[in-house]
Amino acid sequence: MNELLTKLSECIEFGKINMASPYPPNMKGQEGADEITRKALEEGVNPQDILSLGLMPGMERIGVKFRENKVFVPQVLMSAKAMSTAMLHLKPHFLSGAAKQKGTFIIGTVLGDLHDIGKNLVGMMVEGNGYKVIDLGTDVNSEKFIDAAKENPDAVIGLSALLTTTMVNMEKIARDIKEAVPGTLVTIGGAPVNNDFCARIGADHYSPDPQGVVEFLNTKFA
Amino acid sequence: MIRPITYSFSELTIDKVHLSAMLGFPEGNLPEPFDLYVAEAFQEAEMICDIQGAYCFTKTIEFGAGNGQLIVDGLEFEIGKTIAKELRHSENLALFICTAGSRISQLSQELLTGENPVLGYIYDVLGSMIAEAATDKLQLEIQKIANEQGSAITNRYSPGYCKWSVADQHKLFSFFPENCCKISLSESALMYPIKSVSGIIGVGANVKFREYTCDLCNQNECFQRSHRRIKA
Repeated sequence: MNELLTKLSECIEFGKINMASPYPPNMKGQEGADEITRKALEEGVNPQDILSLGLMPGMERIGVKFRENKVFVPQVLMSAKAMSTAMLHLKPHFLSGAAKQKGTFIIGTVLGDLHDIGKNLVGMMVEGNGYKVIDLGTDVNSEKFIDAAKENPDAVIGLSALLTTTMVNMEKIARDIKEAVPGTLVTIGGAPVNNDFCARIGADHYSPDPQGVVEFLNTKFA
Repeated sequence: MIRPITYSFSELTIDKVHLSAMLGFPEGNLPEPFDLYVAEAFQEAEMICDIQGAYCFTKTIEFGAGNGQLIVDGLEFEIGKTIAKELRHSENLALFICTAGSRISQLSQELLTGENPVLGYIYDVLGSMIAEAATDKLQLEIQKIANEQGSAITNRYSPGYCKWSVADQHKLFSFFPENCCKISLSESALMYPIKSVSGIIGVGANVKFREYTCDLCNQNECFQRSHRRIKA
């Protein structure tokens, strides 16, 4: 693999945004995702390869480490920031069709719940693994999810909740989506939910961590 | 009678080591530059917090015939079996609301979606800690008043937890003047500013305060559980 792409994947894994960034301490003064992505494009590396062989492997590795409690939210945020910085260089190539995202993922915290850190981490991780993410925010009702699903056929929907009492809303939203847009896949996550609840409300997937959502999407969009 | 309170950040029991632990780094082992971000957040906290709270005592309470209903001054709350059991010996209740203010959440959001997401996350966690620490202090005031009257207090319980519907927040807020402490409710009963806490505390001669209440709830990743896990 291109040496630049290897280096780029390390920048994503360790959250090295650009040369000026002081994080991580052991990469101080080195080029980051920003400079390396630009350099790779200048050297003619295929934008799709930059995404698939540079950015995504790094994001996958940080996702696995997060699942295994080897890193924490701040480190994931740094990786996501490095990723989004690199993506700015790739955006024109996505628009031109030279590089393609794997699919679309719509995510939101369900009605009655304002907690968004978990939802944001899932969104960042999914985006970093090559998907277009549409974040509907927090306190989102069925109508908004359904409208987004209709506007983005084939998108998978992610529902997040933290409060036990909003599980009721999650159930209603999942059922409403299935009724209004049959065939739409729904994945759920959040502290109070589990596999049993997922099966009960007719959702298609439950994951206790962001990487699990990525793995689910990869089985559907591969 | 509504009793208002205000606190400054420096009056609260919050330290950097605890914040570091809440971020995932025990013993204050924060890598550079996260340690500098924590120091910055602590320095700014005094300026960006607007800590306000209010509480009142109810006149009458009555437990409903079903499981989990509580009638407070004629208004019925569906608090669920778990909380009803904890409050069952209460003779009256203290109702409270408390907030860290809106600025810290705004700053957190700006940073999370902008140039420094880690600092934004630190403000988010710190905001939650401030709201909880201020409510701890407010609870001490309620306990002091109760003790002076020969009563004890229970733990505090909030809508949205232990199967108490968050929709009851509207009823709870009806005991306070509109926009009290600058806290407002959305249609779906969520509090703004986000870093706010509301709830009830049982008061009575025969109520008990439990040192550990996480066994009442099945939320593995909640703020209180992390807080206690770290303290232990």
